[in-house]
Amino acid sequence: VTVFVTLVRHEWRSLTADASLSLVCAVFAGAIAYGTLNGVRWVTFQRQAIAEALDEERERFEKHEAEIVRINRENASVSAFADPRNPDAAGRTLGARYAVLPPTALAPLAIGQSDLLPYYFKMTTDAKETVLAAAELENPHRLLAGRFDLAFVLIYLYPLLILTLTYNVLSMEREQGTLVLALSQPVPLRALVAAKMMLRFGVLLGALIVMTLSAIAIGGVDVAAPDSSLRLAWWVLAVALYGLFWFAVAAAVTSLGRPSATNAMALAGVWLILLILVPSALSMTATATFPVPSRVEMIQAMRVASDEANAEGSKLLAQYYEDHPELATGDEQQAMNDFNMVRVAVNSEVEQRVRPVLDRYTQQLAAQQRVVSGARFLSPAILMQDALNDIAGTGTARHREFMKQVEDYHQRWREHFIPLVFQKAKLQDYAGLPRFTFEEEELSTVTRRVALSWFGLALPSLAIGAFAFARVRRYPVVG
Amino acid sequence: MVRTIARKEVIEMLRDGRFRLLAVFVLVLSAASFAAGWRQYVDVQRQHLQAQQETRAQWLNQPAKNPHSAAHYGMYAFKPKSRLSLVDTGIDPYVGVAAWLEAHKQNEYRYRPAQDRTAIQRFGELTAAEGFLVILPLFIVLASFTAFAGEREQGTLRQLLSLGVSRRDLVTGKALGVAAALACVVIPATLLGVVALAYTSEFAGIREDLPRAALLAGVYLVYFTIFAAFSLGVSAWVRSSRAALVVLLACWFANSLLATRAASDLAAWLRPTPSAIEFQRAMDHDLSNPEEMRVRLEHRRQELMREYRVASIEAVPINFSGISLQEGEEQGNEVFDRHYGRVFDTYRAQNRVFQWTGIAAPMLPIRALSLSLAATDFAHHRDFVTAAEAYRRSIQRVMNDDIALNSRPGVVYTAESTLWSRVPEFSYRLPGAWWALRGNQIALAMLTVWLVAALVFASSATRRLAVE
Repeated sequence: VTVFVTLVRHEWRSLTADASLSLVCAVFAGAIAYGTLNGVRWVTFQRQAIAEALDEERERFEKHEAEIVRINRENASVSAFADPRNPDAAGRTLGARYAVLPPTALAPLAIGQSDLLPYYFKMTTDAKETVLAAAELENPHRLLAGRFDLAFVLIYLYPLLILTLTYNVLSMEREQGTLVLALSQPVPLRALVAAKMMLRFGVLLGALIVMTLSAIAIGGVDVAAPDSSLRLAWWVLAVALYGLFWFAVAAAVTSLGRPSATNAMALAGVWLILLILVPSALSMTATATFPVPSRVEMIQAMRVASDEANAEGSKLLAQYYEDHPELATGDEQQAMNDFNMVRVAVNSEVEQRVRPVLDRYTQQLAAQQRVVSGARFLSPAILMQDALNDIAGTGTARHREFMKQVEDYHQRWREHFIPLVFQKAKLQDYAGLPRFTFEEEELSTVTRRVALSWFGLALPSLAIGAFAFARVRRYPVVG
Repeated sequence: MVRTIARKEVIEMLRDGRFRLLAVFVLVLSAASFAAGWRQYVDVQRQHLQAQQETRAQWLNQPAKNPHSAAHYGMYAFKPKSRLSLVDTGIDPYVGVAAWLEAHKQNEYRYRPAQDRTAIQRFGELTAAEGFLVILPLFIVLASFTAFAGEREQGTLRQLLSLGVSRRDLVTGKALGVAAALACVVIPATLLGVVALAYTSEFAGIREDLPRAALLAGVYLVYFTIFAAFSLGVSAWVRSSRAALVVLLACWFANSLLATRAASDLAAWLRPTPSAIEFQRAMDHDLSNPEEMRVRLEHRRQELMREYRVASIEAVPINFSGISLQEGEEQGNEVFDRHYGRVFDTYRAQNRVFQWTGIAAPMLPIRALSLSLAATDFAHHRDFVTAAEAYRRSIQRVMNDDIALNSRPGVVYTAESTLWSRVPEFSYRLPGAWWALRGNQIALAMLTVWLVAALVFASSATRRLAVE
């Protein structure tokens, strides 16, 4: 143990004397600062957009409620489209409400899919696909390039910095002739490697955590929000395990006893394979085996269905009454000429007809997701991306949950308005319109998903580390 | 002498198992990416062409109805896929595939294909362009980092120079060696691309795309030259081959992965994109301007009464509701042009930032040129959007003119298929290669700066090539 302490102390001295550690730390600090800044800016942008949406809703509601008061007072006549009391107009446009996915407190840690997937919808009685087709404005070149956020720094840059600090730990000493000198003392080679690796790991991880925490604290991330401290702990654990993996890889390559340049090339190759090739090959395989057809097909299917349904018009309403006797009010004959009621029936028919087409998209995407979920263990980078997005709440899983709740909300919204349309009700205010609040996933659900990534990172790290530990005994000290 | 040196380099590389492995690997990769790109292009293009015909048929088969209902029924514009997207998919996954062309509204392009994919696509797609611009430079680095530093370490550099080999011959020979190694990979890969392109001849316009393909190959070659010159320069400049490798790998990473992302965030910082809600709200505000509409209509009324020399609008022999609908369109068009124009100009300004920051990394200008020549950048998207919008406006004009000329106020009016067929078929032609280049002058300038800088650096570093 005392030997180990001496080794670490000595290693610390030589590491700090060298410029490479401070260079690595400087690059790291700059990247973390820029990444955090970009994450914070993006989340601020999202919050502002959400506030703007809610403000628009409030203003619109005030306007229409004032209009209702005016119409009632003056007994004014207004066209049905512009009449805020008309439940059909209210449900389709005038009374639309926003369904919002608020960013979590730790969202600045990883932008994830949140720049691509919509985080608010304007709810109306229109077809679900029309409501859900909304998207945030973004320069497609920026979506293609991806963001320089903390997750990028961690997934791509962090391993490279580890490799820069470790590719020559033993080979350099050997090339300089100091390795023989060191081993002429009563120092086991394993202890020497362990001391070098652990010190570097400790310094880098410590610097990373301290720098990130101070960056997010300065950036105004609310660490005191519920769940945040636990999520931060999960984050630290993921970062530590991802670092461990790359240290294990570096140790394994080191233990093969090749010259520094070969080590550098081998490690760069591993990095290239795990970060660039495996993910893109996997993405290609998933889309090639389970291609999601172009949405063009869906658009055409919906158009054909709605042409046919519109042609049948009032006949469909009669059928609709058979399916929904609770909506009958006694004057069905008159209802056949009512545009709004016919539309309800037509919409419901269109949705039934295009359901099979829509289901195919969902099925194919789910199949792709299964391929990726199964194969993600092939690359620690994918596991890390999953874990970081999950912890920050910007991943696919939380968004899928949001979409599910939005679909339920759409259902509720329709169910609220359809009876009112059939009763020819006149709304007196908009306070009673259904509201949406996102029910956050249980933290335990998130933890379960993140835990899989932890295991996926830890197991290969241990295996590779064990290989390095065994192999280093045969290290060619001279040569 | 030069030839001997080059031959030695090539033989050495060919005998190196790692090199052969790497070359085969790059070729397999490019075959796979061309195949995937080809598949995607053919599938999407077939679907879009078919859909475009269907939407036309639906338009023509409308029953007798009022022209304004026909205008509301409208048509869809499906964005065609460019042939060279099989080399570089570019922004295609991140822009919508179709827009509804209806009365009163310029709609956005909906359904970004990226939303129908999993999160790992954000690691990047395995396109041929990715292979050429990201993986191949790495191959160049590995083929050249030992060129001078390695000879120096082994002591063969001193030997060579003592034999009377001139430095210039040595440098030329080494450069030719790297070029030959590169050619071993690039030529077959290019042939694969040519084959993939040849198999797209079922779609029209293959001849028009050839200049684009040739220019694309040309700018890629310039990029490879930059990398090769820079790598040789570094190899001559630094002391050990280990240092050369580390420096080159760091540069490769900064250029290939760091630069685009850093520039992307910088661009949004300098020229922020508005949020969709902000955009929509401002546009809706400008669209509902009854006062302006009233003034416009009054103006048109006066104009018509003057033109027909009558005292009341009822006496004018055309139906004013057609005029009024068209005025509504005109008012809307001004608003759309202003608001969409502002957002699109923001994107363009952001993309200019991308190009200017190319002074820091050659990836940025080459990427811009690659996307543009493949017709998968925003400028091309905008060109299509503008053409489709002009078409939408032409539909509205035909419908509204018909209402004005043929209908009478207070009488139910329906038009028949003769009117529908008076709207010409929508056809879109990709602008030429020259147009693509003209929009990327900054990128071209930056790439030239890099080329000159890399060559100057390589020649000065090799001229001062130290023996020890």
